[in-house]
Amino acid sequence: MRKPKAGRPEKPPVDWQEMHRRLEAARERLARGWSPPPGERQRLLAARARALAQEAAPPKAGHEIEMVELLLDRERYGVESPLVNEVVPLREHTPIPCTPAFVLGIVNIRGRIVSLLDLKKFFGLPEKGLADRNRVVVLRGEGMEFGLLADAVLGTRRLLLEELQPGLPTLTGVRGEYLKGIAADGAILLDARKMLTDRAMVVREEVG
Amino acid sequence: MDEAFRRKLFATFKIEAAEHIEAVAAGLRELRGAPGGAPPAEVIERLFREIHSMKGAARTVNMTHIEGVCRAMENIFAALKRQEIQPAPELLAVLQQALASLVRTLQDTGLEPEPAHVASLRDLAEALDETAGGRGPAAARETAPAGEGVSPAADVSSLTAGTIRIGKERLDRLLLQAEEMIAAKLVLGQHLADLRQLGSAVAAMKKGWDRLGRDRKAAARFFLTVEKESSAAASMRRLLQLLEEQAAAAAGLHHRLAEAAAAAERDRRSVAALVDNLLEDAKSASMQPFSALTGQMPGMVEELGRQEGKEVELRIRGAAIEIDRRILEELKDPFVHLLRNAVDHGIEPPAARREAGKPPAGRITIDVQPLAGKKIAVRVEDDGAGLDPERIRSGAVAGGLLTAEKAAALSPEEIPALIFRSGLSTSRIVTDISGRGLGLAILQDKVEKLGGAVSCQSTLGGGTRFLMTLPLSLATLRGVLVRIGEGLFVIPSLTLERVVRVRREEIRTVENRETISLAGQSLPLVPLRDVLELGPDPAPRGKSVRAVVLGSGRERIAFIVDEVRQEQEILIKDLGLQLQRVRNVAGSTILGSGQVVPVLNAADLMKSARRREWTPPPAAAAVEEVRRKSILVVEDSITARSLLKSILEGAGYLVTTAVDGLDGLTAIRSGHFDLVVSDVDMPRMNGFELTARIRGDRRFAELPVILVTALESQEDRERGIDVGADAYIVKSSFDQSNLLGTIGRLL
Repeated sequence: MRKPKAGRPEKPPVDWQEMHRRLEAARERLARGWSPPPGERQRLLAARARALAQEAAPPKAGHEIEMVELLLDRERYGVESPLVNEVVPLREHTPIPCTPAFVLGIVNIRGRIVSLLDLKKFFGLPEKGLADRNRVVVLRGEGMEFGLLADAVLGTRRLLLEELQPGLPTLTGVRGEYLKGIAADGAILLDARKMLTDRAMVVREEVG
Repeated sequence: MDEAFRRKLFATFKIEAAEHIEAVAAGLRELRGAPGGAPPAEVIERLFREIHSMKGAARTVNMTHIEGVCRAMENIFAALKRQEIQPAPELLAVLQQALASLVRTLQDTGLEPEPAHVASLRDLAEALDETAGGRGPAAARETAPAGEGVSPAADVSSLTAGTIRIGKERLDRLLLQAEEMIAAKLVLGQHLADLRQLGSAVAAMKKGWDRLGRDRKAAARFFLTVEKESSAAASMRRLLQLLEEQAAAAAGLHHRLAEAAAAAERDRRSVAALVDNLLEDAKSASMQPFSALTGQMPGMVEELGRQEGKEVELRIRGAAIEIDRRILEELKDPFVHLLRNAVDHGIEPPAARREAGKPPAGRITIDVQPLAGKKIAVRVEDDGAGLDPERIRSGAVAGGLLTAEKAAALSPEEIPALIFRSGLSTSRIVTDISGRGLGLAILQDKVEKLGGAVSCQSTLGGGTRFLMTLPLSLATLRGVLVRIGEGLFVIPSLTLERVVRVRREEIRTVENRETISLAGQSLPLVPLRDVLELGPDPAPRGKSVRAVVLGSGRERIAFIVDEVRQEQEILIKDLGLQLQRVRNVAGSTILGSGQVVPVLNAADLMKSARRREWTPPPAAAAVEEVRRKSILVVEDSITARSLLKSILEGAGYLVTTAVDGLDGLTAIRSGHFDLVVSDVDMPRMNGFELTARIRGDRRFAELPVILVTALESQEDRERGIDVGADAYIVKSSFDQSNLLGTIGRLL
């Protein structure tokens, strides 16, 4: 979420001398052709290697994430906020024949066509009652985009990953791998990143 | 060729020639700068290709004198290639001079070459020929119209004046945006229709006022002459005054709406014209000469031949003819495939050719010709072994494409058409025997998608010839809107042969399949609903059905639809990133109303229809006897509405839907229903109010109403019963059986 802007401080006068000094330093570096001295290069590379190695380590316990919480048949599902592109009301959708049951159809979002997925069908869960399904939570990743159908969007909240419990046995069956876990209060956290990157999510079918 | 077309062709040729000349001049400079010893082979190769292409281009526009010089220069480069002569400075100077002459000629030449130029270039060609003949650079005869030391490169720019280079991506973006403008056209059309509808509603209103005109006047007279002045009479006069004003307002509104509609029509027409022109120009900006496709091909064919131990030459005629770049790009792979096939399987090895009395070097020709109606004809021909009809016949039978009898009955002309068939499991077999692979099915598919046609002729031993007709530019796609149930679909007009109405008695069942007879041909009749897996038809088949006939030639299938609406321009969009390829659906399009509609893939539909298991049509007669109960579903949520509808239709009810209470009330007043299922929480008029209004009308006092709601408090339930609902179903505990059970009890 964007933080409110702090009050603009009094504009300091321009330090021309400092600017000239910096420009000179930059010019010098350009003249050297961007190559650091040999010792420096080793040091930089080693530091980078260390940084990269750390990146691969699993996230530390106590890691906090922000998720968008949506309501579906009175159950709450969470999707990591950074992957949610927008939430739009569902007015009309166009069913597309010959698609898997979990694809409800397509919608036109400002000239862009986006497919809609029904999580209940996707996870093979029984549908309880007659729900409204009039919100679309649009998830977007690298070269991938689709909307999740929801009855309502409750807002965003923070969640400690370490508090997550493994998925319920009823959910771990079909496509259980797309679940991250269940929060203490019962909200089900989806693995939206996996849904967005998994090739198995893409429909690509020929006749035959 | 008509005059305008030749003029355009010539302008293109000038630009193309300038590019070749520039490249040759650059190559010559490189040769001059090269150190002694063997000349750099790749430079000479490049020079050879450039001048060869220019020669072909000159031939296309009938500039035989230019072609002659090019040919002579090509010979010199060929001799250089074979290292029969050396790139001595004198030779280079002669070539340089020849180039300068070409530039000079091109600058001065209009559509008809000037005799003086023709003569001098003929002499130049002769001089060059002598040079190539190994007699060393002939003393350049002073016949060329070029002055001493003219640098061709300097003058070349004058030929291309008025042209600039622009990146493909930028051009494509422009074209794409121009295409998006079609949507603006469609939207304006929709607005106009809306405005007209509004206009006729106001016209009806005005008519009502007009009818009452005399009554209003009479009433006014009455209240003016009333004897005893009373406050009631004064009220009535005020009321009449208001009525007069309203009547005048309605007349004014009617007039203004008519004007607005006329203005909207004018605007729509001028926008349509602007968009069409813009599109036309954007398309012509992305035209490219055919040589953009074929440029690399002579080298490729030669190389392929070498690998196979064959000598093959590719000749290209008409390469300067311009065509939509997107078409060229689509054709690239199939063309490479076609040439590869011709080299691999068409052209025989030299020994076999000699035996057959043919020249040892095989020849493949690509010939491009303009046709009337913005089309071109492309012929790809080889003088190789041709197709063996017997092997194709037996292969087709073995692959299950045809029965032995049918195969035997095919005439020699019909045989080559078989090689375009890629009947799934059979394709490999056909490939093996004919040696013309699946690529041909792809070629046909692509050419037809572009709006063209392809055919093949072949004689055993006499070579193979592919004939294609292609549009010069990609036409804006048109599509026919069809309806199945409540769903709309677009079928691209290109693939649609005709629309037919078939009476029930005309439908025959042959070999367990329904067929109809059309122009003497029997074609399968398949419900599009089944092919698209939309579930069984809730309504029984009527006395006649509507069908669209897709396909071409022998492969035609009639698909049953519920309704055929208008044909219109469409702009194909994708189905979103997650739906990369969907069976039977090519993409989507947006109608003028903003509604998104799937665009069907005709080739897929044909395949799906052929694979479909035959299911007998429902016995219609029995169902028709019983009048089906009619239910109105009032629900603002689209998903809940669709779910209710499908449940009820599944149970055999006729279902109509409304989007809120007000909509529902209008439907109830104008239709006949046996039962109403309504949501409670809706905009404009909620379910409680709707129920109360239904109960308040004597005509509908007995109409059963079921409220389906998310509200589950005792209070709400009581309110539901208070307003007169017959049943109250809470959404959270909703399931099919309790809804259907409740309906069953009430009906």
